[in-house]
Amino acid sequence: MGLSGIQIFKLTPKKNCKECGCPTCMAFSMKVAQGALEISKCPHMSEDALAQLSEATAPPMKTIKVGSGDNEFTLGGETVLFRHEKTFVSKTRYAVSLCTCMDDAAIDAKLAAIPKVDYERISERMFVEMIYVNYEDGADKDRYVEIVKKAAALGRTLVLGCKDVEAAKAALAVCKDGKPVLNGADASNYAEMSAVATEAGVVLGVTGADLNELYDTVAALEKAGNKNLILDVGTKSVKEAYGNAVQIRRAALKDQDRTFGYPTLVNLAVLAHGDRNMQQALASLFTMKYGSIVVMEQLDYAEALPLFGLRQNVFTDPQKPMKVEPGIYALNGADENSLCLTTVDFALTYFVVSGELERSGVPCNLIISDAGGLSVLTAWAAGKLSSTSVSKYIQENVEDKVKCRKLVIPGKVAVLKGDIEAKLPGWEVIVAPLEAVQLVKFLKDLTA
Amino acid sequence: MPFNQKPQKFNANINTVEIGCGDKAIKLGGECTFPFYTFDAPTENAPKVGVEISDMGLINVPGIQEYYAGAATMAEIAKKAEAMEGADFVCLRLEGGDPNGADKSIEELIAVVKEVGEAVSCPLVVEGCKNVEKDSELLPKVAEALQGKNVLVLSAREEDYKAVGAAAGLAYNQKVGAESAVDINLAKQLNVVTTQLGVKAQDIVMNVGSAAVGYGFEYVVSTMDRIKGAALSQNDNMLQMPIITPVADETWGVKEAMASEEDMPEWGPLEERGISMEVQTAAAVLASGSDAVILRHPKSVATISKMIKELV
Amino acid sequence: MTLFETVFSGNDAVYGLTEGAINAAIEQHGADKAVSFPNTAYCLPCYYAVTGVKVKTLGELKEALGVVKTLMTREMRLNDVFMSGVATALCAEFIEVLKYIDGAEPYTEPCYGHLADAVIRELGVPLVTGDIPGVAVILGSAPTKEEAVALVKSYQAQGILVTLVGGVIDQVAEAGMKTGANLRVIPLGKDVTSVIHVVSVALRAALIFGNVTPGDAANLMKYTFERVPAFVNAFAPLDDVIVACGAGAIALGFPVITNQEGVSTVPKSLILQPDVSKFNATSLEARDIKIKITNIDIPVAFASAFEGEIIRRGDMQVEFDGSRVDCAELVQSAEATEIEDHKITVIGPEADEMELGSKNSIAYVVKVAGKNMQSDFEPVIERKFHNYINCIEGVYHTGQRDMQRIRISKDAFNAGFRLKHIGEVLYASVKNEFDAVVDKCEVVIYTDPAECKRIRHEVAVPTFNKRDDRLKSLTDESVDVYYSCILCQAFSPSHVCVVTPERLGLCGAVSWLDAKATNELDPNGPCQVITKEKCIDERIGEYEDVNEAVRKFSQGALEEVSLYSIMEKPMTSCGCFECICGIEPFSNGVVITNREYAGMTPLGMTFPELASMTGGGVQTPGFMGHGKHFIGSKKFMKAEGGIERIVWMPKELKEFVAERLNQTAKELYGIDNFTDMVGDETIATDPEELVAFLTEKGHPALGLDPMM
Repeated sequence: MGLSGIQIFKLTPKKNCKECGCPTCMAFSMKVAQGALEISKCPHMSEDALAQLSEATAPPMKTIKVGSGDNEFTLGGETVLFRHEKTFVSKTRYAVSLCTCMDDAAIDAKLAAIPKVDYERISERMFVEMIYVNYEDGADKDRYVEIVKKAAALGRTLVLGCKDVEAAKAALAVCKDGKPVLNGADASNYAEMSAVATEAGVVLGVTGADLNELYDTVAALEKAGNKNLILDVGTKSVKEAYGNAVQIRRAALKDQDRTFGYPTLVNLAVLAHGDRNMQQALASLFTMKYGSIVVMEQLDYAEALPLFGLRQNVFTDPQKPMKVEPGIYALNGADENSLCLTTVDFALTYFVVSGELERSGVPCNLIISDAGGLSVLTAWAAGKLSSTSVSKYIQENVEDKVKCRKLVIPGKVAVLKGDIEAKLPGWEVIVAPLEAVQLVKFLKDLTA
Repeated sequence: MPFNQKPQKFNANINTVEIGCGDKAIKLGGECTFPFYTFDAPTENAPKVGVEISDMGLINVPGIQEYYAGAATMAEIAKKAEAMEGADFVCLRLEGGDPNGADKSIEELIAVVKEVGEAVSCPLVVEGCKNVEKDSELLPKVAEALQGKNVLVLSAREEDYKAVGAAAGLAYNQKVGAESAVDINLAKQLNVVTTQLGVKAQDIVMNVGSAAVGYGFEYVVSTMDRIKGAALSQNDNMLQMPIITPVADETWGVKEAMASEEDMPEWGPLEERGISMEVQTAAAVLASGSDAVILRHPKSVATISKMIKELV
Repeated sequence: MTLFETVFSGNDAVYGLTEGAINAAIEQHGADKAVSFPNTAYCLPCYYAVTGVKVKTLGELKEALGVVKTLMTREMRLNDVFMSGVATALCAEFIEVLKYIDGAEPYTEPCYGHLADAVIRELGVPLVTGDIPGVAVILGSAPTKEEAVALVKSYQAQGILVTLVGGVIDQVAEAGMKTGANLRVIPLGKDVTSVIHVVSVALRAALIFGNVTPGDAANLMKYTFERVPAFVNAFAPLDDVIVACGAGAIALGFPVITNQEGVSTVPKSLILQPDVSKFNATSLEARDIKIKITNIDIPVAFASAFEGEIIRRGDMQVEFDGSRVDCAELVQSAEATEIEDHKITVIGPEADEMELGSKNSIAYVVKVAGKNMQSDFEPVIERKFHNYINCIEGVYHTGQRDMQRIRISKDAFNAGFRLKHIGEVLYASVKNEFDAVVDKCEVVIYTDPAECKRIRHEVAVPTFNKRDDRLKSLTDESVDVYYSCILCQAFSPSHVCVVTPERLGLCGAVSWLDAKATNELDPNGPCQVITKEKCIDERIGEYEDVNEAVRKFSQGALEEVSLYSIMEKPMTSCGCFECICGIEPFSNGVVITNREYAGMTPLGMTFPELASMTGGGVQTPGFMGHGKHFIGSKKFMKAEGGIERIVWMPKELKEFVAERLNQTAKELYGIDNFTDMVGDETIATDPEELVAFLTEKGHPALGLDPMM
């Protein structure tokens, strides 16, 4: 699959007109090859070239957008099965589940709990992004609409779990502007459901008794012109749901079977049978492989902390390291007289070092300056961690805030000691051990 | 037109390594597919769950204290660990040996090893104190003390693989855990030199390094994904050793599992946070290809064991 | 008597004794009487290891003796000598086992006799790890008691396991020396036959640690030769029996060192060393045993934490400055015989004979020898000197070759630090880090100004010039192999660098010589040999063997690469490349930009944008990461026409590479001052303007065939 930038370039008008927003046709072609731009952005492409390119550059897995405004999320669009091959582009999104089978008190309690989990981790807001509202067959449609309204009021993207055409219509009437997902099509009702979803302009969720039925239903929907889909991996058993999730993704990416080139939905609220720990184990499993929306009965802090951490890790771009903000991080109740230590802004380094410092119990100021998000030795080799960068940051941002004049530098850059001392008059520079695990003992000895 | 299912069964297998003796012996590895891809081929041996105990006693978590209530000696603790629902093996960590910590003597630690070795009949994994100098003295003694029990000794590392590998793998016929730091090439290099030492590839289990989720876990995922990929699709026999991952040690030490309820009132009960970290990390390393995980909390052990049963 | 005759006669004598002893024992106890050594699962371990047969009774012992007899052939060939040696050893084992009949305890303090399996498992581990670097077997009586003790202690200090047989046992006991397995000095027994107990250790080690199948004599000998670092020190006078036993030792790969004048020596195997005080050095060299240096004997600390220390003028005791006076630092390889290991000489005044605060000359020459040493490694070792010397507390080093500068602080000087300690540090560091190639090392430090001048101008500078010439003459065609480098796979999993003399690693840090040294020092490490025998396409530099290697090292992610093309199967890029070149279609050429240049290029992309498209270990035709030094190479995109395709570079980079690039352009195309034709950001960052500039300058790329 895929064309190289050079191959695409050959088909461009080669005018460097800049109308696509790129300075040159070559830059444009490279971005198209990367999947960062669509070929249609070029206004001067010939019909022939367009036809030739659209097919070749069409992604194996569609990118589906759900939600609106701040809550618009991109699902799918993946090109690889393993993150080391390139990057996973669309994060797993988590939904908390409501159901017509619950009483009002339970629903209100859940709705009240959802906003509680809302925090920031390495420059990313972590919160429950979606609410799944399930319609049980035969339930009161008006009540369903009421629940949907209540859920929509929370400002999260909704997924309507509803196989009843009328109930779906009624619910969409009150929430379609928020671009919810209508998860309700199967082999028996797909034509009507598709019409409802298309009419409301929302994404349609499809299920099947097994992979074959799901495949046929998707093929039929595509034939009818609906390619705005999400595939529900089913709730028969954990084993089957996992098998379906993997095979759908693999068929699309490895075997180029575009019928399965859609994001997936995994409903743990059903699969985990109310076992909280099983649910979070499975949430982790399907974040790894390959759930686009994971529906849970609840998502409290204890569950959210590891789950969002996992997601942040798995969906990192390997070429763009995670960075923490530069600044003075006061640990263990440190004040302006506490010892200063410095390291780089690479998130992993920061976590490991701050973890060890916290473990030591010694009050200290951890000073993080901008090192391009690289690890200590890499940053040093790239010139982003130097005696100049450290001393400049300390002079500009630390000296007026901290009175202590002792600075501990990473053991791996002991070679900077003399230069930093020369550039930071009045400071005593101390070299830390080579590994973070040795910090606890080092600090205890140092402050003993 | 039905879905054209294309199974991806590889013509290579992960080695099968047996640990322990008798009825309770377990087999790690053996698979020819990615983890839990039962639709490609049946899973040869389901991944195994181990219970971690330490010579330093129990951590102060109510659920753990409660489970082990009444166990006063290491032998009693070990027996309770063995009896835990979902437990396939017991892992004894000798963290008290760390010269920067309790710095227990080798004699003292070997006494614990013998006590635990005699108390349990399930397979045993013994982990050192992580200090290379100490481990290179301690682990050969461990291998000697447990002769005939076919235990897995963790770990031989780049710095001490000769001492640990020669003692565990050659002198005393145990299984050797080869530990490297989250890098496929380091893992492979260690396997190469360990086999060059004379240790059979079939006697090696890898610990390719781990992290708690959220703490650079992407490196763990990619390392394991790549190792399994190379082992199965490239038939690289220097990467076909099964993988064991000590999860508890990573997860119970991070902020999410340690910050007190006073400091972080909105986070809720500390114990729940610890279990969540442990359960989710374990599920994620299993999804990446670990053939065994080592856990601490009874609820984690029960949950992960149940999840494995449902998946295979 | 010739060596053959001596061995045969000794063998015959022992055989006769054994036969008599076994017959007598059968007569006394009957053929069914059990024979065994205590605490072993291997019966008669030596016989079992060699033949695979377990002997359990006197009757079986007699049968076994018949088998031994078949080894005793009498042709005048080396193999017959060895086999007779083995036969002698086996006879010794038979004689010894008879001593243990009926659970007898034939050996008493301090002698051990037979050693239990448990002892072997315990000693085996440090032997395998190298913590016990060797096993000395000392046989007979030293000329004096003092010499005996001195020899044993010298081995003990090196961690070598010592076993004693014969008169030496009484000699060390008389001197009051403590012995025992825990002290790693084990007296075996006073009869020469008790030497079999150490042979038994070696052979059981082969069975336990080497997985050798009993009876597989060939692999047994291979294991003892390669993995059991034992040697024999046999004191004069040697009788035929001892020489016959010695032949057995040699058969197992253990050299024999003796002070018996007139013995018929065999190179590397039977060595005459009349001076007992040199037994240690001779033995270690003969058995190729290297002692790890764990402690550098200097009066100040040595650690990487001191690497960044700067010694200011006021804190300085003395300094050495290559920019003002004659200085040099040099590694020289030499023959092993020319070097005395660990010898450190200072020629000229020591630090305490220099004036406080003075500037002095210094030249240190580190002579190294080793079977695997190559002169190409000299600069690799030399480059580490900066690092070594800087790790000394209170010593500061910058520069290299004949331009180094060293300062020693007053504190270090007052703590007793002298120049000879620099020698100690260099010796220990070189031996430790380069133990794969350096067997012996000697350091000479010159401070005498005249000597420094001589060393600098007559020795060092000519060596440096020779090395530079060698570097220049190294071409891809002139070498037989290339090297892979996968140091960056942690970041770019499928990336593999193929390092050739004319194409260094794209990070700019790994040259072909570096890769070669890395491979030699760490054979399982990131740099592996890639052969280049099966050329597929010379034009683009594609080889079957290179493809195979790349496939293997990328775990199958990469199938084919070319060395000299950026359009066809270009080499992949990790993330650490210094530069990226990319095709510029309007001028028919390529644009190069480097990491330090943050601005726009005529491609319409900046370095980070290009990096995100090119990096990560994927092939991106038309784009490639590379090192700065590759720009001047004749192999730079040779397939597309070479360096005359270069149309643009950031000004700073252009100036950096100008000299070499212009030289190559002159050589290849006869173009003078090629870089004047190459654009930069001060001329154009837009393709149209660039083409206008190139047209004006008549840049050759405009006239070349289109690249795509």
